[in-house]
Amino acid sequence: MLGKRFYSDIAALRKTPLFDFHLAHEGKMVDYAGFAMPVLYKAQSHIASHNWVREKAGLFDVSHMVQHKFLGPDATKFLETITPSDLKGLKPFTSTLSVLLNSNGGIVDDTIICKHAENEYYVVTNAGCRDKDLAFFREQASRLGVNVRHDLIGGGLLALQGPEAANVLQKLTNFDLKEIGFGESAFVDLLGGKYHVARGGYTGEDGFEVSVTDDAKSLEFANALVENEAVQPIGLAARDSLRLEAGMCLYGNELTEEITPIAARLAWVIGKPRRADKEFNGAEEILKQLAEKSTPLRTGLVSTGPAPRTGAKILDKDGSQVGTVTSGSLSPTLGKNVAMGYLPRKLAKNGTELSIEIRGKPRPAVVSAMPFVTPNYYRK
Amino acid sequence: MLRTAFARSSLAMRSRVPMAFRFYSNNLTPDSPVTSYGADPTVRYTENHEWIAVHKDNVAFVGITKYAADALGDTTFVEVVETPTETEAQESIGSVESVKSASDLYSPVTGTVIEANEELVNSPGLVNEDPMGKAWFAKIQISNPAELDQLMDSDKYEAFLKENDH
Repeated sequence: MLGKRFYSDIAALRKTPLFDFHLAHEGKMVDYAGFAMPVLYKAQSHIASHNWVREKAGLFDVSHMVQHKFLGPDATKFLETITPSDLKGLKPFTSTLSVLLNSNGGIVDDTIICKHAENEYYVVTNAGCRDKDLAFFREQASRLGVNVRHDLIGGGLLALQGPEAANVLQKLTNFDLKEIGFGESAFVDLLGGKYHVARGGYTGEDGFEVSVTDDAKSLEFANALVENEAVQPIGLAARDSLRLEAGMCLYGNELTEEITPIAARLAWVIGKPRRADKEFNGAEEILKQLAEKSTPLRTGLVSTGPAPRTGAKILDKDGSQVGTVTSGSLSPTLGKNVAMGYLPRKLAKNGTELSIEIRGKPRPAVVSAMPFVTPNYYRK
Repeated sequence: MLRTAFARSSLAMRSRVPMAFRFYSNNLTPDSPVTSYGADPTVRYTENHEWIAVHKDNVAFVGITKYAADALGDTTFVEVVETPTETEAQESIGSVESVKSASDLYSPVTGTVIEANEELVNSPGLVNEDPMGKAWFAKIQISNPAELDQLMDSDKYEAFLKENDH
């Protein structure tokens, strides 16, 4: 009844600075984007680890993600060409979700861009897109002939997520964390150094992503966090169900190079001045789609019974396929299934009754607003 | 994937984190619906981690092993077939889901599913609590007892797990 056991050569995989921490907590390690990453830790169930983050605080190793620094006279121009974000209008130490765009307006990757100063940005991209993103940055810089320095930042990236996250982190610093609102960041005194702390995350909870640029300090930081009894290390299993409840996209599932920010319902990442200057990749196509309102849309669905899984067919009342599930799972928080998929606009309205084919049978599903679980962000 | 390289990494990992040998008691639960149906059923196992307990009247109970239930984690959903249903060996007669995955339960034998465990549908958590007792999935009137010879007995199944676990 179980699928093929999924082994890979752990020794051949890349290791994050927290690899020894994962082993010490008996993480069940798997290959994720070429890194040895924990799915679950010993004595945790998926649901218990998920609920822990919604109730307390979870520590996630996200060091596999790629941290970049872009700086130099053309840094803003460069990033405003490859993304549709209004970076000129972004205040220093403020972040925005954004997308890297190809010339057709398709999404090369999703990313967080944090402005540190005029022409100085800290950017985080997905581990799974590492090689293609690095090639993309090189190609685009050469095509545009811009003067930009691109550095990769090493060390660890640790996410602390959950309603207790702020209390826990505050115990490790004299910096008043109340000064950092959702989407803001600061260099904060921690462990005898100063590290970049960004408030936000991938679960819908209040939380922080801390860039600890030193491997040994990353490990020390992780150990200091789990000493607090409100904190448990949390693996990839819960990371995925938490982000799905929060209605967030997973690159490769909801987002691909064929999907534009309009279809992905990320039109809000296109800054207002950018709609006028049209100087970003794929602007013509994207602004056309924005005006025509005819693309399919990323849409939430809720159901009971067996959980919809990636690739399941979404059917209309007549049983004709109208879309495909991009992500789906039981929602531990809601006790029913939640899913996303792309649907024609006339069917993408809340309350529309559809069905999802699972094991050969249509199962009722209803279009639902996202996020499925109300976010719990900290705003100043 | 290089098998030698994997074996090395696996040993290395074990030496860093001493782990007690995991022992799965993949035996029927005493005083369960499966054992109280009749005395001394013949128990066999599949490579897909199903168990089958065959009674003297060729009525068999089928479920997933303790090993499989532990590997699956929190069971969130169970589906069983409508009864009666004719089934071939290796045909799906149910499914079991965790948050992350869905798996089919395949009939180890040919026969007729005469009863499905509706209690399991209402309480999928039974799969984790008592996979080899209360969490039987289906009761099958088997039509070809010779098929059982192709399945593993308890010793062979434990050896199979040891061989595949690391």
